Parts: sequence; structure tokens; C-alpha cells
Amino acid sequence: MISSTLGVWNYWIVFFLMMIGLFLVIGRKNLLKKIVGLTIFQTSVFLLYITFGKIQGGTPPILNNINETVYSNPLPHVLILTAIVVGVATTALGLSLVLRINSEYGSIEEEDISAQDLIDYHDLIETSKKISVKFKK
Amino acid sequence: MISELMINAFLVSIMLAIGIALLKSRSVIYTVLLTSAYSLVAALMFITLDAVDVAFTEASVGAGISTVLFLAAMAFLPKKEEQTVNNQAFPAVICLVLGGVLIWCSYDLPEIGLATSPIHQHIVPEYILGSRDDIGIPNIVTSVLASYRGYDTFGETIVVFTAGIAVLAILKNNKKTLNKIKSQKKVVKNG
Repeated sequence: MISSTLGVWNYWIVFFLMMIGLFLVIGRKNLLKKIVGLTIFQTSVFLLYITFGKIQGGTPPILNNINETVYSNPLPHVLILTAIVVGVATTALGLSLVLRINSEYGSIEEEDISAQDLIDYHDLIETSKKISVKFKK
Repeated sequence: MISELMINAFLVSIMLAIGIALLKSRSVIYTVLLTSAYSLVAALMFITLDAVDVAFTEASVGAGISTVLFLAAMAFLPKKEEQTVNNQAFPAVICLVLGGVLIWCSYDLPEIGLATSPIHQHIVPEYILGSRDDIGIPNIVTSVLASYRGYDTFGETIVVFTAGIAVLAILKNNKKTLNKIKSQKKVVKNG
């Protein structure tokens, strides 16, 4: 009973962590928080993969010369090694975009940015109206 | 066997606590430091789950470099998150429903650590034998990464290179273009 509960406990917590990451991405208006949420989501997916690869009583997949050693599955490890490095590249790209947005708008809150965009759009429509009036004259 | 699983359950519970603290924190520096701690505990979990290569990569790249990146970006950003006025009920409902579906599906997943689960059956035994007989590298992860799946790793370096170029292009302080755009805007406004 205990071992079967522990056997799915990891999965459950990993799913909770994924949902925390997803909530940070879609529920928060701060752009930096969104990127933190992406990182949390990524790391929980890594945990899920590595959990699949575990064999009870196994050793890390490094060959020793003892026969009948059980090695844990090396394939998820390889995939996740690649994913970690790509994940950091994604984080760096996202952070640079946030910096650029901050230097342009002076804010990293989504609502401020969309409000400023609305004002700009309104200005553009006004000026285009003026121009068209001039053309008619 | 059970002690191994209990260590895992304990570490993963710490990660859950850090995740809940992240949901509550409003200060940027706490958020960044909690993310770093999260990656470090994840690295500990990778060690208990036999993924030593992943563990040291996560500790150095996930907990180290990404924290440095976050701190470097923080220096140019506002220090506090604004209190959001709108309700967060809709995203919360989406997350709860999706989480419920995932937990429902988890009953069909194989129990942790079973040697008979499908993931261990297909190509992995060949890799383990081939790493000893064909390639001769004792670390199986290295032999798969650099030899069997060398093209994947090559593609990964291309991705990282592209990301580096993109970061440089975005952060390049291109004042000339900005001034051009501003003067064009003025021309349009003045009609």
C-alpha cells in the first residue's frame, strides 16, 4: 500500500508543479514571472522523464565490469541533457525580449503595455483621419 | 527500495513547497532565488533517480547560468510586481481541470521503478551492449549523446547558436533606427 502510494506520488507532485508553472505563465501579468513559470514547467517535465527512466535497485548508467548489473534507462537522460541546454537558450532569449520591451515601454506589466499600444493606435487613427481630410480639401 | 522512494517523495515535496512560495511571492528577487533553489532540489532528485549527468548539468546550467541571467536582467527591470486587479479565476480553472485530467491519467502510468515497464524494453538494451562492444565508452549517456544520436546534439548546438545570435540582435542598442522611427512618427503626427 505504502509503496503503491509512493509509486504514484512523484507523478502527482510533478503534475502539480506543471500546473503551477502553467498558472504563472497564463495567470500573471508580469513578463518576468511568465518566464519564471516557463522554467518551472520545463524542470517539472524533466523530472517526469527522469522518473520514467528509473529502475528500482538500478545503478547510474555507467558501465562496470560486474555481470548482471541493472542500469537505469540512459535514453531519457540523453533527451533531458539536450532539453536543459535548449531551455537555458530559451530563457536567455525571453529575458532579452523582456529587456527590450522594458526599454521601449518603460514597464513589463502586460496591462500597461497593451494600454500604451491602444493609445498609439488611437493616435494613428486620428492622424490618418486628418490626412484624409486634407486630401479631400 | 522503499527508503529510496521515500527520499524521492520528500525531495519532491520540498519542490512543491517552493512552487507554492513562488505563487505567493511578489518581489522579483525572491522569485529569482526561489527558482534557483527549485533547480538545485531538482538536481538532487536527479541524483536519487540515477541520472548523474543530468544532475550536474541541471546544477550548473539550470541553477547556475539561468540564475545569473535572471539577476543580470533584473538589474534593468522594475523591482516589484504590480498587484493585479483583474481576477485570476479563469486561468486557475484551466490549470485545475488540466491537472485533474493528468492525475486521472496517472493511474494508467507504470509504477515508478518497475523493470518491466515498456520504456525499458525496446532499444535501450542494444545501447547498453553496444556502448561496451562497439563504442567502448563506459558512460552510456555519453556514447548515446555523442555517437548514436550525434546529429541530435549537432542540431542542439545550432539551436543554441541561433538563440545567441537572436539575443545579440535584440539587445543591440540600435539608436539610429529608433530615431528614424521617432522622426517618421512626428512627420505623420504633424501631417
